[in-house]
Amino acid sequence: MNRIDALRVIDDVFASDPLVVTCGATARELASFSRRDTHLPLLDSMGLTCAVGLGVSLGLAVPVCVVDGDGSLLMGFSILATLASYAPSNLTVALLDNGQHASADLMASQAEHLDLAGAARGLGIDVVSCTDPGELRTAVVAARESASFTFVSVRIEPGNTAGIPLLLDDPAVLAGDFKRSVRGLAAAPRVPA
Amino acid sequence: MKESNQFFDAVVQGLIDWDIEVLVYVPSSHSAPVIRSLKAHGVRAVMANREEEAVGIAGGLAMVGRRAAIVMQDNGFGNAITALATFAVQYHAPIPIFANGRGGPGEYNAMIHSVSEAVPDLLRAVGIRVERLGVSDDADVWRQTVAATSRLAEMQHRPIVTIFEALHPSLATSR
Repeated sequence: MNRIDALRVIDDVFASDPLVVTCGATARELASFSRRDTHLPLLDSMGLTCAVGLGVSLGLAVPVCVVDGDGSLLMGFSILATLASYAPSNLTVALLDNGQHASADLMASQAEHLDLAGAARGLGIDVVSCTDPGELRTAVVAARESASFTFVSVRIEPGNTAGIPLLLDDPAVLAGDFKRSVRGLAAAPRVPA
Repeated sequence: MKESNQFFDAVVQGLIDWDIEVLVYVPSSHSAPVIRSLKAHGVRAVMANREEEAVGIAGGLAMVGRRAAIVMQDNGFGNAITALATFAVQYHAPIPIFANGRGGPGEYNAMIHSVSEAVPDLLRAVGIRVERLGVSDDADVWRQTVAATSRLAEMQHRPIVTIFEALHPSLATSR
C-alpha cells in the first residue's frame, strides 16, 4: 500500500471529523486529492503532529484523527507516553510507517529496524496493525467508533507519489478554516468525569 | 514540597480570573505551587514531557476554542522555540505561557543562566511578545497582568509569554 492509498481510506472514514496531518509529502499527498476545512495540515513543525492532535481531541467530544509518519513520531517520541497517559477515547492515531524520512531525500528512519507499534503496545496503548487498504478501512472504522484511544500502525511502501505539487497555503488561512470548521462541534467536558 | 506565596497565588488567581479551562504544564520545582494550586482549584491539567509537546497540546486545545495556558520554566524555550515559531505563531494559536525565570538572583544552578538570559531576545526575534513580573511588582499587579496577558493572547490570536521571578530571596516571605 502506498501512502496516498492509505490517505484515501483515512480521509474517507474521517470525512467530517477533525484530522491533523503531518508535514511534508504526507500533507501534500492528502491535499492533492482532498481539501477539507476540517483538515489541519502542519506545514512544518515536524514531530508535533500527535501533540497537536492530542490537544484537539482533549478539547472536543467528537472523533479526531491524527495522521503521523514514523519519522515525525520519532522526532517527538516522548508524545507516545503522553498519549498513553491521557488516551482520549475519541482519538485515533494512524501511523504511516515506511521506515524512512521520505520527505528528507528518502533517508532511512530508525523505524527501519525498530518496532514502533511494539513500543506503543509496551506503553499500554491499543494497537491495530495493517498492511493493505481493506485492513486499514476496517481498522479505522472500528477505531472511529470505539470508546477507547486507538493507535493504527500502517505499513506503507517507501517513497512518495510522483507529481504531487507543494502545499504552499498560508498557515494562518488553514488555521482559520479549521477553527471555523470545529466551532459548532461538541466540546469536551470541562473536567472529565 | 515548595510552599506557595502571595505571588504564586496571584498567578493562580489571574488564570482563574481569565477562566482557564486546561492547564498544560512541564514539571518544575519552582512553578510547582502554581501547578498544584490550579489542580486543587479543579482546573483540568495535562502534563507534557517536553516544552514543545506542551506547545502542541495547548495549541491544539486553543485551535478548537479551549482556554489553555502553559506553565513551564524559561530555560525550556530552547526546546520549544521551533514549535512556537512554526506552529503557534504561524497558525495563530492563542496560548498564554507563564514561565518561571531561572538564572537570576537566588539561582543555584551554575549554567542555566546561559539559556535563560537569552530567552526574551530569542522569543522577540520570532515575534512573540514577552512580559515580565518581578519582585518590585505588587502581588495584585501579578494577578492583573496574568489575566490581562491571557486575554491579550486571545485578542491577538498569538502566544504571549510572561516570565515571572520565582527564585529571588524576597519571594520566600510575604511582603
